[in-house]
Amino acid sequence: MSVTSFLLPPLPLTRRHVVIGGAAAMLLPSLAGAQTHLGVSGGEVAPIPIAIPDFVAGSPADAEVGVGVAQVITNNLKRSGLFAPIDPAAFIEKITNIDAAPQFQNWKTINAQALVTGRMTRQSDGRLKAEFRLWDVASAQQLTGQQYFTSPEYWRRIAHIISDQIYERLTGEKGYFDSRVVFVDETGSKERRIKRLAMMDQDGANVRYLTRGADLVLTPRFSPSTQEITYMEFGQGDPRVYLFNIETGQREIVGNFPGMSFSPRFSPDGQRVIMSLQQGGNSNLFVMDLRSKSTTRLTDTPAIDTSPSYSPDGSRICFESDRGGKPQIYVMAATGGAAQRISFSKDDTNGTYSTPVWSPRGDYIAFTKQGGGQFSIGIMKPDGSGERILTSGFHNEGPTFAPNGRVIMFFRDPGGNGGPSLFTVDISGRNEQKVPTPGFASDPAWSPLLS
Amino acid sequence: MKVDKTLVASIALHVLVIGWGLVSFSSRAFESVTESIPVEFVTDDQLSKLAAGIKTGKKENAKPLVEKVAEARPVDDAVGKISQKQPIVTDAAPDPVPKLEEKPVEKKPDPPKPVTENKPKEAPKPIEKKPDPPKVDPIAEALKKEESKKPAPKAEAKATQPPPVKKREYKYDSESIAALVDKRDPTRQAYAGETLNSTPALGAAKGTAATLSQSELGAMRARLKRLWNLQGDETPEEQTLTVRIWLGQDRRLSASPQVVASGNTPRAKAAAESAVRAVLQGQPYTMLRDETYQQWKYMDIDFGPEM
Repeated sequence: MSVTSFLLPPLPLTRRHVVIGGAAAMLLPSLAGAQTHLGVSGGEVAPIPIAIPDFVAGSPADAEVGVGVAQVITNNLKRSGLFAPIDPAAFIEKITNIDAAPQFQNWKTINAQALVTGRMTRQSDGRLKAEFRLWDVASAQQLTGQQYFTSPEYWRRIAHIISDQIYERLTGEKGYFDSRVVFVDETGSKERRIKRLAMMDQDGANVRYLTRGADLVLTPRFSPSTQEITYMEFGQGDPRVYLFNIETGQREIVGNFPGMSFSPRFSPDGQRVIMSLQQGGNSNLFVMDLRSKSTTRLTDTPAIDTSPSYSPDGSRICFESDRGGKPQIYVMAATGGAAQRISFSKDDTNGTYSTPVWSPRGDYIAFTKQGGGQFSIGIMKPDGSGERILTSGFHNEGPTFAPNGRVIMFFRDPGGNGGPSLFTVDISGRNEQKVPTPGFASDPAWSPLLS
Repeated sequence: MKVDKTLVASIALHVLVIGWGLVSFSSRAFESVTESIPVEFVTDDQLSKLAAGIKTGKKENAKPLVEKVAEARPVDDAVGKISQKQPIVTDAAPDPVPKLEEKPVEKKPDPPKPVTENKPKEAPKPIEKKPDPPKVDPIAEALKKEESKKPAPKAEAKATQPPPVKKREYKYDSESIAALVDKRDPTRQAYAGETLNSTPALGAAKGTAATLSQSELGAMRARLKRLWNLQGDETPEEQTLTVRIWLGQDRRLSASPQVVASGNTPRAKAAAESAVRAVLQGQPYTMLRDETYQQWKYMDIDFGPEM
């Protein structure tokens, strides 16, 4: 699945731009500081209106893929909540040549702030060439331009990569569209539920099933290399932590321990797996080096320590423990030692916290909070301050961060005879969206960016 | 013992009168005496007002140059208090040419003279600094506001000439009607400082009371705030930046806006680009007035997080 990319150079400046630039340069030396200052405090937190016309077809056979790419980009940007794609029915100008500057007045009229133009061309060697330009409508300037070469079947991935470029250029944040999600697919009645490990693109396309559903699977987690998944499976005996290679389909048991092993997660370098091992009525945290297979014990308490998650720099671990009586979130050094409790419920003293996961950006820890008869998804800073509940309800659980740390995916069970579904929500609590899945779905885990 | 009836009657009458007085006046005695307290209002309009001054003045000296103050002020100024507000400017108003030229054309019955028939209580004291503008009826006064802007006695300190004003044609203008129906008392404008201040102040090059009003600034601020599009409020420190703009008389940008200060992170750059988009989208800035062009032709706009 190789994608090669080249920078698309900006179009030559029109005379108008040169004149304006020259005038500014002439004005500059004489004016040191303006006498009038105008303070503007706070802008609108509103989506950016963006126009994404269908990509131009390089040859008549490419028309379909051109429409498809524009649709995938539109869908991605719209779901992010940060963009408001404009209905193509409102477009005045039809883009026919992406190597000529568009008539910006036509796009200003429909209030577009940004415009994406692109072209898909099947090459003589069978590869697909994708080109796109991102325009700032107000200043009539090209913000970025890129061309890609890949196999025709990966056109969706090209659309995700272009979406990431647009997202990053306009928001200043890294994108997250070129990524995948592994989750537990659930089918069948509530009593005879079949749980299979499944993987899909972050937008719900390209679903693949990784296991056949003979055994119960839980808590799948991506490796930073994205080629491996670790998860827990109830086999014939005790639940075990497995390692699964996506490319080869091979799987192996991690370690050989007496009793249960569960809630595994990779270290940021992908070389180790941290997990809980059952010891009598208690469980403790262990880390296993995948190359040397050596195991290190990190906690030793007469309590249940579980759900460990590394900080992105690998120096610290957050985990859930009931050593204080009720499940709470603790943080300790990655080498073990003293742990510090960071979760303190303000409104409900009986509130419990579980399933902590550290953001890839390092700034927040997401968690499931239980209290007042509700399950909530929230985030807090690694020192426990700034707690923010993003969503509450009958049953919400299992948060996982998008690669850029801006979006959280979780699963929600409405109760009754239905089943769980996947949802995304912004870390500000805005823009909650259901993620399309073939059936019921739970336990999502977001992959890192593929490229 | 013989009692004088007249004495009894007198006492009875006195008691009656004094008693009545006690009853009837006592209710007044409970009323609180409201004394007038002089209150000086300082509006933000005043704060933003740029006074006339000279180029070599110091920034700290906010007050205009005043060498002496007239010793007495009129006891009862029939024209009204000195207004800190802008006179209503109309398109129909005649050009501010020197008054002497204007006079023969439309002969008003009242050249500025110390005593008029309408002002019997005018103080006879000589007023050196501030001659009274002609006393006219409110409508004529409103129309001639522009004309009454004759140079103040300290005009030489300003060393300025009347700004060249384009020839105007009469046209329908709702503003001029607004001026005609303006029911406020006639006022005159302050041209020089009221207090003693011997240091020349740094003011606008053309400090003829052409101040950028808070309503102009407020309207522009509101427009930019609405157009400045942000993605999330997670990092307010990355939303602090300054954009410098140059505006032409047509209220459109005459040069590309420049980001003169912003953070260096990708998010800060995105916020700055969004601010530039807002500035470009906001034009033309129709809320700005011709009179204040000197103040808005070149501006720094400081964008910052919500306060």
